[in-house]
Amino acid sequence: MNISTSALANSYKPLLLLLMVFSACVTGCAQVAPWQRGNLAKPQMALDPYPMLNEMRGHNYGSREAGAGSGSSGGGGCGCY
Amino acid sequence: MVQVGAVAVAVININLKKNLQSSKAGRKSNNMCMKQDAKPRAIGLQALTAAALVLPGLMLSAPCNAEDDEMDFQYSHYQEGKRNLYGTTADNRNPIEVDSTHGRAKVSLTDRVKFAFNYTQDTWSGATPVTTAPLEFGGNHPIKIGASPLIDDRQLHIDQNGSPVKNIGIDEFSPVYIKNTQLVHTLSVASPETRKQGDFKLTHEWDEAAIDVGGGISVENDYESRFGNLGGRIDFNQKLTSLNLGLSYTNSDTNALFDHDISGYFNGGAYAAKGQLEKGRLKANRQDWGGNLGLTQILTEKSLIQGTVGFTHATGYMANPYKIVEVGFIAPNQLLDNGRDPLLPDNILVADMMAFLEKRPDLRNQWNLGSHYVQYLGMLDAALHFDYHFSTDDWGINSHTFEGDWVQPLGCGWTVTPRIRYYSQDAARFYTPYLLVNKAKGTTTSAKATDYLSLPDSYSSDQRLSAFGTLSGGVSISKKFVKGITLETGFEYYTHAGSLKIGGGGEGDYANYNFFVASAALKVNLSALGHGGGSGEHSHHDHKHGAPIPAGVMFGHMMEKTGDVMVGYRYMYDTQAGSMLHGSNNVADQTIVGQGCGNTAISSCFLTTNGMNMHMHMLDLMYAPTDWLNLMLMPQFIDMNMSMRRLDGAPSTANGSPAHHPDDTQFMKDMMIGGHVNTGMASGGFGDTGMYALFKLWGTPDHHVNLSLGATAPTGDVGIKMRPMMKVYGNNYMDYGMQLGSGTWDFKPSMTYTGKYDDWSWGAQVNGTKRLENKNDSGYALGDVFQSTAWGSYNLLNWLSTSVRGVYTAQGGIKGQFIGTNNGSLNNMGPMDYTKNYGGKYWDVGFGVNAFVPSGDLAGNSLSFEWLQPVATEVNGYQLARDGALSATWGYAF
Repeated sequence: MNISTSALANSYKPLLLLLMVFSACVTGCAQVAPWQRGNLAKPQMALDPYPMLNEMRGHNYGSREAGAGSGSSGGGGCGCY
Repeated sequence: MVQVGAVAVAVININLKKNLQSSKAGRKSNNMCMKQDAKPRAIGLQALTAAALVLPGLMLSAPCNAEDDEMDFQYSHYQEGKRNLYGTTADNRNPIEVDSTHGRAKVSLTDRVKFAFNYTQDTWSGATPVTTAPLEFGGNHPIKIGASPLIDDRQLHIDQNGSPVKNIGIDEFSPVYIKNTQLVHTLSVASPETRKQGDFKLTHEWDEAAIDVGGGISVENDYESRFGNLGGRIDFNQKLTSLNLGLSYTNSDTNALFDHDISGYFNGGAYAAKGQLEKGRLKANRQDWGGNLGLTQILTEKSLIQGTVGFTHATGYMANPYKIVEVGFIAPNQLLDNGRDPLLPDNILVADMMAFLEKRPDLRNQWNLGSHYVQYLGMLDAALHFDYHFSTDDWGINSHTFEGDWVQPLGCGWTVTPRIRYYSQDAARFYTPYLLVNKAKGTTTSAKATDYLSLPDSYSSDQRLSAFGTLSGGVSISKKFVKGITLETGFEYYTHAGSLKIGGGGEGDYANYNFFVASAALKVNLSALGHGGGSGEHSHHDHKHGAPIPAGVMFGHMMEKTGDVMVGYRYMYDTQAGSMLHGSNNVADQTIVGQGCGNTAISSCFLTTNGMNMHMHMLDLMYAPTDWLNLMLMPQFIDMNMSMRRLDGAPSTANGSPAHHPDDTQFMKDMMIGGHVNTGMASGGFGDTGMYALFKLWGTPDHHVNLSLGATAPTGDVGIKMRPMMKVYGNNYMDYGMQLGSGTWDFKPSMTYTGKYDDWSWGAQVNGTKRLENKNDSGYALGDVFQSTAWGSYNLLNWLSTSVRGVYTAQGGIKGQFIGTNNGSLNNMGPMDYTKNYGGKYWDVGFGVNAFVPSGDLAGNSLSFEWLQPVATEVNGYQLARDGALSATWGYAF
């Protein structure tokens, strides 16, 4: 239990760092007007250009590795093989 | 500039309100995405509308697809490479392979409300590590009939430091021991098993926010998991920034039954003490709560970044029920033991190796930090994606993941995406290849039951919890066709090695392995279909539809316009249950025991099929190169399961016959009944692939005669075997009905007539299947099939009709038999294992409904269902009665 508590406490640090970076960005990043976002609208710029493929990959990695995946939607089964 | 800006904002608002239901604006922007490679149409309004789609909220999923209604299908194959077993045998064990299918539908219910449904199915089989032990322990030596598995109650020699040693002396009388710390996995073979998952997500969108609710269930033989999630999104800072929040809850039950081959050869005392392990069955629950927070920020005109933080709190049973830890019990005062081998030098100790079910902590808190950066490269019109994830938990596992994807459009709808990924993790603090404890092993039942108290709280030899790194690379290629159809393929090769861990020092080479995954997907953008394919001036042309064809009839309908395309999905469910039949009559178990199998005393029937279900998913891809010819491609994916029961009056050791002797075939079969009856059988994967040409022979506006000529390629596996039971390796094929295809090239002609008058329509078809080879790779050929059918249909409404159909089917028996099997073969346990019990004549009546959307946004869609009710059956030999069959088809012609 001690281990888990200290692990949690340590883990807040990166979270704070992340929030700080983004807070800075929200105010400090260049303003991009809507009509300047044409390139960002292209399919290759989507955060996930291959949703089904990446979901399948995530399932394979998740059943072979112990690190946390990027999602937490549940499911996926046991992967007990 | 100000004016342009004002126009852009206006477009954004219109888009957000109307685009969500495949509106005009949405289609325009979608079309622009689709066509940008083909013809650069510099239409200002479209460009601005496209710009609207980049709003961060919409970008949380693919911007060009996120807002459109879609039907997607994906198939993938995972194949592991063989492990290094350091010269020990077991080379007849194929590594794990997994076949997966994934179907997805996304539809807009209203302007603001969207519904997405996913169905996923995985079938896996093959050999995988069950435990790890020093090579000197000999966990992979050949296993003979009747011998116990070599994981339990064997001795290992170790030196004073606890290191395993090897005898290199010239003979047993002059031993010379040297240290040998080489480890090796012990593999275990799994029969095919299938997992099915269904999940949904319902989303409500506002202009600058969204909420979604979702849930689902994943079911497999020994594990069931139910989950629900809630999510939300808010856009702010002029939509340069989006905030995402998600919460999830998962409740999972393990229900693992250990069959004869493993039950009794491991120590599950820790679970028995908690009441989780009883009568060879382990039952336990786990619960996972998860939360994640994400921020997406547009940085410049060409770059954006996303950061996520997630937390998962899991409690309960988190172990893998099929993983064993080898524990060496080193008895104190061994030198004084009278039973000690007198040839053993004094500096060599004996460890009694016992197998224990692995045990993990019942609490896990896991943090996950992620970042995703996307950069547009104007010169190449490409996008570079870079991901980094870090996770840490209170099991002591820290992991780092780096991933890079280069998405390169090539023009004409082609996109190529090479990718590379690197992953590294530390070992869990309770990971150990094996354990040594300074204590004598328990020798009585009660002492064995408490042996676990000498072990640490948690212990696991699962390679997933060891320290290692992985490197993988691959490529995805997609091609977007006109009319909203995209084909996507992917390939990835993955290598796992201890030495790849950051900083080195990971698990030894024995645990290294590789796998590859190949996949193919078909994506149908419903919103883009039938709307001109990118001109920006979509047309709502009304679709014509011929006479309705019952869902169970194939090749009944032809497209008559050159260049037309149809995409369809066909599902068939066939179920058998109830009495056993001989000819047309019910038959008693005693008769089956004596006559249903072989003719000799050692080939009685021991068990029979109790129920059988088959699910078949087929894709229909149809193209009309001319108005008199249609070409069809039909890949299919099948899964089946079968339950069995012991026949009343089957020979039984309980009655003194057969004799209790491990070399007696009858005795072995009797012992194997439990394994069959308890777990049943399952198989699944890619089936045979059909390729057809449909010819229009004759037609008037109301009458049509079509001829279809085609063949199925033997892409379905016909060599599916069960896991070895009672240590019987070799020709333990699953019965003929559980194989996924015919294994032969088959010729499949059919002729169809359809007619209609007013609201009435009718039709008739004859079709056949002729096997073009005498035997397949497994040594047999299925019987030929002849079928005739006729139906009548009435239009209740202009979009809805009902049908009634009669069907007669005759199928011949099987020629040949599985290679290496005969009447007395150990795996020939019941009527389904004998070729004489296949084929027959069948009469059925079908009742169906057909719905067709003649106009509007969903014009061209059709949906049909038909239930086929058996009315008479005359089987060859002894077979299980039929319960009926359901067919469902969805088609989209455009």
